[in-house]
Amino acid sequence: MNIIEVKDLKKAYLLPSDKTKTFNAVDSISLGIKKGEVYGILGPNGAGKTTTLEMLEGLKEIDDGSAIIDGIDVSKDPYEVKKVIGVQLQSNEYFDKLDLSELLTLFSKLYSTNIDHSKLLDQVNLLDKANAKTQHLSGGQRQRFSIACALVNNPKILFLDEPTTGLDPQAKRNLWNLVKDLNASGMTIVLTTHNMEEAEHLCDRIAIMDEGKLIAEDTPKALIEKYAPKPSDIPLTGNIEDVFLNLTGHSLRD
Amino acid sequence: MFTESQLYLAMVFLKMFLRDIQSIFFNLFFPMAFIGVFLFTGGEPDPIKVGIVDKAQNQLSRSFSSLLDQDTTFEVIEGLETDLKTQLIDGELIAIVEIPKQFDYENQTGKLNLILDASQVRQLDGIKDSIEKTLLSIERELRGNEAMFSLEIVDMKARSQRYIDFLVPGLLAFMLMNLSIAGSGFNLVEYRRRGILKRLFVTPIMPKDFIVSIVLARLAIVLIQLSVILWFALLVLDIQFIGGLLSLYGMIMLGSLIFLCFGFCFGSIAKTQEAIRPLVTSFTFPQLILSGVFFPISSLPEIIQPIAQWLPLSVIASSLRGIANDGLNLLSFDLNLMGVLIWLIVSFFLATRYFVWRDVAG
Repeated sequence: MNIIEVKDLKKAYLLPSDKTKTFNAVDSISLGIKKGEVYGILGPNGAGKTTTLEMLEGLKEIDDGSAIIDGIDVSKDPYEVKKVIGVQLQSNEYFDKLDLSELLTLFSKLYSTNIDHSKLLDQVNLLDKANAKTQHLSGGQRQRFSIACALVNNPKILFLDEPTTGLDPQAKRNLWNLVKDLNASGMTIVLTTHNMEEAEHLCDRIAIMDEGKLIAEDTPKALIEKYAPKPSDIPLTGNIEDVFLNLTGHSLRD
Repeated sequence: MFTESQLYLAMVFLKMFLRDIQSIFFNLFFPMAFIGVFLFTGGEPDPIKVGIVDKAQNQLSRSFSSLLDQDTTFEVIEGLETDLKTQLIDGELIAIVEIPKQFDYENQTGKLNLILDASQVRQLDGIKDSIEKTLLSIERELRGNEAMFSLEIVDMKARSQRYIDFLVPGLLAFMLMNLSIAGSGFNLVEYRRRGILKRLFVTPIMPKDFIVSIVLARLAIVLIQLSVILWFALLVLDIQFIGGLLSLYGMIMLGSLIFLCFGFCFGSIAKTQEAIRPLVTSFTFPQLILSGVFFPISSLPEIIQPIAQWLPLSVIASSLRGIANDGLNLLSFDLNLMGVLIWLIVSFFLATRYFVWRDVAG
C-alpha cells in the first residue's frame, strides 16, 4: 500500500535569465512510496528534489498534478498533512536564545502536543546537550537535533533533505543508524541525497531525478543490474554512482 | 480567544527578548539618559554668583547688597576688587557689581558698574534685568513709593508646564515606534533569512498564528519598557500627569499596533537586513525630526506643519501628550485620536497587502 501517491506533479518558476519565461523545476513527476520503506530521491543540483519535497510538505504550492499523503490531499489540506509528517530542512538554524529542550517543547506546542524532551534527545543521542544552544552544536549534532525536532509529533512519514551533507564519516554513519532505527520502528522515510553510498546503504528504493523529471525508479540492486556498465569479461561491477553518472551525464551542474 | 500555540509562541518571543540583556539596555539607555539629564538641571536653576565691591560702604550701598542677596536668582559674594576680578577671570563669578565711592541717589550719583566677560555670559540680559529690578525696588523703598504696575504670570490652563512634561510623552511615542518596527520588521527579515520561518511553517501553525504571537509579545515588551520610563518620569521627575493611565496604556497599544503593521510591511518588502535598515531609517528618521518629539510641531516652518502634524508618530505623540498633559480620554473626540484611527486602518491594509505568506516564508 502506498502511503504517498504523487501524480503528474508540476512546479514552474520564472526563468532567472528571462523573467518573462518560466521553466518547470518539477516536470510531471509521478511516484508511489510504500508504507514503511526508505525512499531516496537522487539527482544533481537543480534537478528539482527539494522543490518536490517542499510541495509534498505543504511549503510550496502545487501548480499542477496531485499528491496524496496518508489519504490526505496535500493541495486541499496542507495543514492536515503537516500533522502526520516530520520534516528536516536543509537549513538547520533555530532561535539562538533557546536551548535544545526549550526548542523541542516549542515545536511540540506548535503541534498542540506535549512531549518528553529528554526521551527525544536521548533517542538522537543529545541528552547531555539539553541545555546547550544550537549554535554551539557540531554539524552532526545539529542534524540529529533537526531530526529530533521533526519527531515531536510522532510522524508517520519523515522527510530528510540532504541529511548527511557536510558531515564527517563518523557523524554520517551515526545518522544512518538513527535513520535505520526510526525505519525499523515502522516510520516511512523519504530522503534526498547526493551521497550514492548513502542511497545504496539506506534506501529500499531509489528515484533518480534530472531537470525536473523522474528518469529511473527501482531498488538499488535492480538499478545496478539495469544501468551499470557490465564489461563482458568481468563479473558484475559498478555501483550506484556509475548508474547515476550513466543516467545524468558527466557535465557539471551549478 | 487565543490558541495555546499562539500564546506559547508569544511567550517564547518574550522570553527571547528578556534574555537579550544588551538590547534591553540600549533600548532603555537613550530615553533614560535623555530624561535623566533633567534630574540635574530640572527645578530651580542654580543661583548666579555675583561679586560685589562696595567702595561706598554707606547705608544705601549696604541695603542694595542685602536686597540683591535676598533675590534667589543671585548668590552674592562681597570682597575686594582684585580678588573678585581673579575669580571672574577663573569663571567662578559671572559678574561683579562695583558700587562707586560716591553712591548716593540724592546727589544723582547712583550709578553702578557691572563688570563681566560678555562673551561668557549668555544670561547677560537676564542679569541686567534682575539688577535693574533690584535697583528699582530699592528706589521705591527709599522713596516710600508703592509700585505702579506689576506683572503676574497666569497660565491659561492654570498649571505650569515644564519641558520635561512635554518631552516624556513624545519620548514614549518614539520608543514604541522603534520597539514595534524592530519586533515585526527586523525579526521577520532575520527569521526568514536564517530559514527559521520556514521551519516554523513545517508545523501546522498558520501565518496568522505567527503574526498574533509576534504582536502579543511585542505589545508586552512595549508595555514593560515604556512603563519603566513612564514610572521613572512620574516618580523621580514628578512629571505632570492629568489623564487616565488606562487611556495612556490604551494609546500606547494602538500606537504599537500601527508600527507593528508598518514593520510587517517593511519586513515583507525588504529581503535582507542590509535592505531593511535604510528602509526603516527613511521611515523613522523624518518622523523623529518632524513629529514634535523633542520640540513642538508649531516651531517648524509653517509650510511643513500641515504635513508634519499628520505623520503617524505625530498623531500618536500628540495623543499621548493630550492624555498626559490635558487629561484627554481615549473616547473623546479629538483630531489626533482620529489620526491614530486612520493610520491604524491604513497600516493594517498595507501590512495585509504586502504580507505575501509563501514568499515571506520561502
